[in-house]
Amino acid sequence: MKRLGALLLCLWGLWLPAAETLPPKPAKYFNDYANVVAPGAAAQFNQQLTDFERATSSQIVVAVFPKLDTASSLEDFTHRIFTAWQVGQKDKNNGAVLFVFVAEHKLRIEVGYGLEGALPDAISKRIIAEEITPHFRNGDYTRGLGAGINAMLAATKGEYQGTGRTNARNVQISPIWIIGGLILFVVLIVVTRGQILWWILQIALSSGRSYSSGGVSRGGSWGGSGGGGFSGGGGRSGGGGASGSW
Amino acid sequence: MDKSWAQVQNVYQRRADLIPNLVQTVQGAANFEKSTLTEITAARASVGKIQINNAPTDAAALAEFDKAQSRLSSALSRLMVIVEKYPDLKANSNFRDLQAQLEGTENRITVERANFNNAVQDFNTAVKSFPAVLYAGMFGFSARPYFAAKPGADEAPKVQFDFNKPAPPK
Repeated sequence: MKRLGALLLCLWGLWLPAAETLPPKPAKYFNDYANVVAPGAAAQFNQQLTDFERATSSQIVVAVFPKLDTASSLEDFTHRIFTAWQVGQKDKNNGAVLFVFVAEHKLRIEVGYGLEGALPDAISKRIIAEEITPHFRNGDYTRGLGAGINAMLAATKGEYQGTGRTNARNVQISPIWIIGGLILFVVLIVVTRGQILWWILQIALSSGRSYSSGGVSRGGSWGGSGGGGFSGGGGRSGGGGASGSW
Repeated sequence: MDKSWAQVQNVYQRRADLIPNLVQTVQGAANFEKSTLTEITAARASVGKIQINNAPTDAAALAEFDKAQSRLSSALSRLMVIVEKYPDLKANSNFRDLQAQLEGTENRITVERANFNNAVQDFNTAVKSFPAVLYAGMFGFSARPYFAAKPGADEAPKVQFDFNKPAPPK
């Protein structure tokens, strides 16, 4: 049995290199996998894009890869990555990704269904040709990406209303749990003939004495503005956007 | 499946809608070859005649639809090659916007065709698998046709350079 497992593992290993692996979901909004932007500027871009989702709910993501690692076309590859990352909110499809492949000098803005109106192909193309690639040609990735981000945010600003939170911070408690919890509590009161209230009071009093600091501090985790983590919302793209090179 | 077919039709319609504007813009360019434009207009007219409202059940109907659309595709790609000889046109911002829209739409067509094919294949798998295979036929469900990959679509197009001609001045 063990030998069979080892054999299967070997076969799997042989098969593996042929399969193309899509880049995993990014942890941030601004992802410089090619190390072409200084960390300070990268953090600033990430903050800008985090704030943008808070304000508008639209997810704009930047991914700079060292090379285009696919046998397929740029358009096909980036569309599949977009689909896997689920950029944008599920009901709005309001995501867009700026992909850059440094070795090939290629880039693409892939636009989700919900932002096609604000960021149509012609505008995407102009952002690439007029804002981004002139800086890239001078080797200035930071300025090119900065100008590209600004232009993309300006174009999509008024499309959707935000919730003040990013998808990553949206920990939702379903009302069913709250109702269920209340029903359980009432049942416990009935079953214990009210004794449970007395127990809770005792526990509260004793813990109040031993842990004088008391209570778990909350709020810090919500209000925190440190470089936000990205979490896809389920958005889809129909292949809108534009490609370019420099 | 009907929904993804509707998307396929949407993106093809979007392309057809771009054409009058494109033809007009290109016509404005000095002495542009008329034959290419005539072919595009004719191909667009034939595309307009073939409308399939729901996901096609008949392979022949789908093939006819696909044939008309690919005639338009090849006419458009010929235009884009010829345009390279007209630097004035390439510098025209109106034309550049149209070109970006056309490229975007071609990409959308690829995406929606693939989505449609996936939907049909899921459907066909469901119809052919046990136990549905026993009763699907009775209710009129049978395997549906999907887009075939274009012959030669997996090959890169041949590019021929004419080194005897001087490059157009920039």
